[in-house]
Amino acid sequence: MTDSRAQERVFAGIAVSPGITIGPAYVHSREAFVVEERVLDESLVDAEIVALSEAISRSERDLNKIIAIAREKLGEDSAAIFEAQRLMLFDDAVRGEVERCVRRDRFDAAYALHRIMGRHRQKLEASGNDYFRDRAHDLQDVEDRIIRHLRRGRLISAVDPAHIVVSENLTAADIILFSRRGILGCAMDYGGLTSHVSIMARSLGVPAVVSLHGLAAEIQTGDLLILDGIRGRVVVNPSESTLTTYRLRQERFLRLREEEKGLVPLPAETLDGYSIRLEANLELKDEVSLIPEYGAQGIGLFRTEMLFLAEGRLSVSEEDQFHIYRSVVSAVAPDPVTLRVLDLGGDKILPVAHREHNPFLGWRGVRVLLDKPDLLMPQLRAILRASAFGNVRILIPMVTDVAEVRAVRSYVARAKDELRAEGHAFAEHVQLGVMVEVPSVALLADRFASEADFFSIGTNDLTQYALAVDRGNDMVSRLFRDLHPAVLQLIRKTVEAARRRGIPVGVCGELAANLRAVPILVGLGIDSLSMSPVYLPSVKRVIRAMSKEEGQLLAREALEADDADEVAARLDRWLEEHRCGVSFFLDTKVATRLGTS
Amino acid sequence: MIVRTAARFHCDFFIHKDEYEINGKSIIGVMTLAAEQGAVLKLVLDGDDEAEAVAALVQLFEDGFGEVK
Repeated sequence: MTDSRAQERVFAGIAVSPGITIGPAYVHSREAFVVEERVLDESLVDAEIVALSEAISRSERDLNKIIAIAREKLGEDSAAIFEAQRLMLFDDAVRGEVERCVRRDRFDAAYALHRIMGRHRQKLEASGNDYFRDRAHDLQDVEDRIIRHLRRGRLISAVDPAHIVVSENLTAADIILFSRRGILGCAMDYGGLTSHVSIMARSLGVPAVVSLHGLAAEIQTGDLLILDGIRGRVVVNPSESTLTTYRLRQERFLRLREEEKGLVPLPAETLDGYSIRLEANLELKDEVSLIPEYGAQGIGLFRTEMLFLAEGRLSVSEEDQFHIYRSVVSAVAPDPVTLRVLDLGGDKILPVAHREHNPFLGWRGVRVLLDKPDLLMPQLRAILRASAFGNVRILIPMVTDVAEVRAVRSYVARAKDELRAEGHAFAEHVQLGVMVEVPSVALLADRFASEADFFSIGTNDLTQYALAVDRGNDMVSRLFRDLHPAVLQLIRKTVEAARRRGIPVGVCGELAANLRAVPILVGLGIDSLSMSPVYLPSVKRVIRAMSKEEGQLLAREALEADDADEVAARLDRWLEEHRCGVSFFLDTKVATRLGTS
Repeated sequence: MIVRTAARFHCDFFIHKDEYEINGKSIIGVMTLAAEQGAVLKLVLDGDDEAEAVAALVQLFEDGFGEVK
């Protein structure tokens, strides 16, 4: 260990799951496994073959997920790399040759695979052509992935509880396994606020910081770390004084959390007695336990696409869907569960050959569903069948046109007719809601309000479309401001139309958990806010510290502001004056992100 | 793309380059041929749907593998 290593260093990233934790690092990387020659006992050969094919299937599922995400976040070219890797998994050189090698030489599968892939890699590396040398990396990736799965049990048990896991990247599956081992926190080089792994960390309550660019390569297992999942920092080899500061901060955070527990049973009611429904955004049925824990009044947004992505295919049967929806709906009953039908972006995971230049303006959400009734119908049938077990609402994503709402409604009617004829039970009056995430819907909210039973405002997309900013694009992401007066105007229009028609309106985007936005949203007359459950208590604290009248005043000021900075500054002043106890979460620039995540 | 096209057919498919022969349905095999543009390949197809497979492969080569030239 050199001197420079022992020096305190601070890495800045994005806080995606709140908490402050101090402990030794566990570096999770591909170097973690060494493949050695191991000869198996004859009796173990068959089991090894089974283990190999399981590892291959697991690797396939990984890749299916990666392909879907790569397509969405990185584009078709990146996805094609992983598609080639998926093809390699089923190549005879992997499955067939390795199997033969295990049977013939009784090598364990990892070693057999390593030898065979090594030979192929050498050929590619010898070609002296960059393209083929890159393909050698692909082979290495495939090999690592399979070996990782072959060794899954051992790798995971190697993670000590009471460590902070540091990695270039983890999968959602990794984080589930790690959290079961009781890790302290998680720091990753890649990832963003809405990456699946970040969502998982949040719902599992594992403090996490992502997008730390190069942290994993800089530290070793055992290095002392401070992970600040509020400000988005990781401190490596902290000095005594830094440690003291953070221990105090940690205490303060835990105290706040403890206080927040006291808020769980209290109503989300303003000082002048106006209540707001606080609901949870979920995507896995295992997360249902978070609802009572954080005092959510139902599920405001259940994203069903994760169910499909987890399966890695689009043909999740009606029966499988029904079982999942039913278990969620009956667990949450009598509180409502809002199931959003499949929201695919662009050509994400769809088996289509064409490639879109601008997937955000392309084939997404309801557009896909109306073109593919074979996706929509089984899902509607499954949801309707689940409606017999509790309080279900259906939400349509990415609507731009009134005709789309009418079309979905007629599919719902058809699904009901079918179910009735087949003797399945379902609730007659399942509400059908519209996601307000395209400005056209907000602008024509009056007309949509007479077609829809409720509105749910998706502020992430609404902001993206109103401000013409792709926040995944680093060049412009700073222009992504969901507190922009233009976005707030669209929200106001939506709420007013809903009021006139007497339908409920909620916010399920990240803005709902933005502590600065809460007073404005309440002031505008939003009925419900839905967010990752972990943020519910802080939001409730703000609601309980304000009056509706104050909110109306703040909303008026915000709507008249010139830009998002002016809105944020005004709200910061208000939060400070009201000592809502949330300043802890707001004292840095990065903390804003906590609110908005 | 060759592999994906070939996988649609039942017939056996081998590619010869210099002294090597590889299975044309194996992506790793095709990759390790390390065939650069201009390389001379011999494709051998054998099976009940060989004619259709040949047609599909010829089409693929003629289309320049869908790459923009």
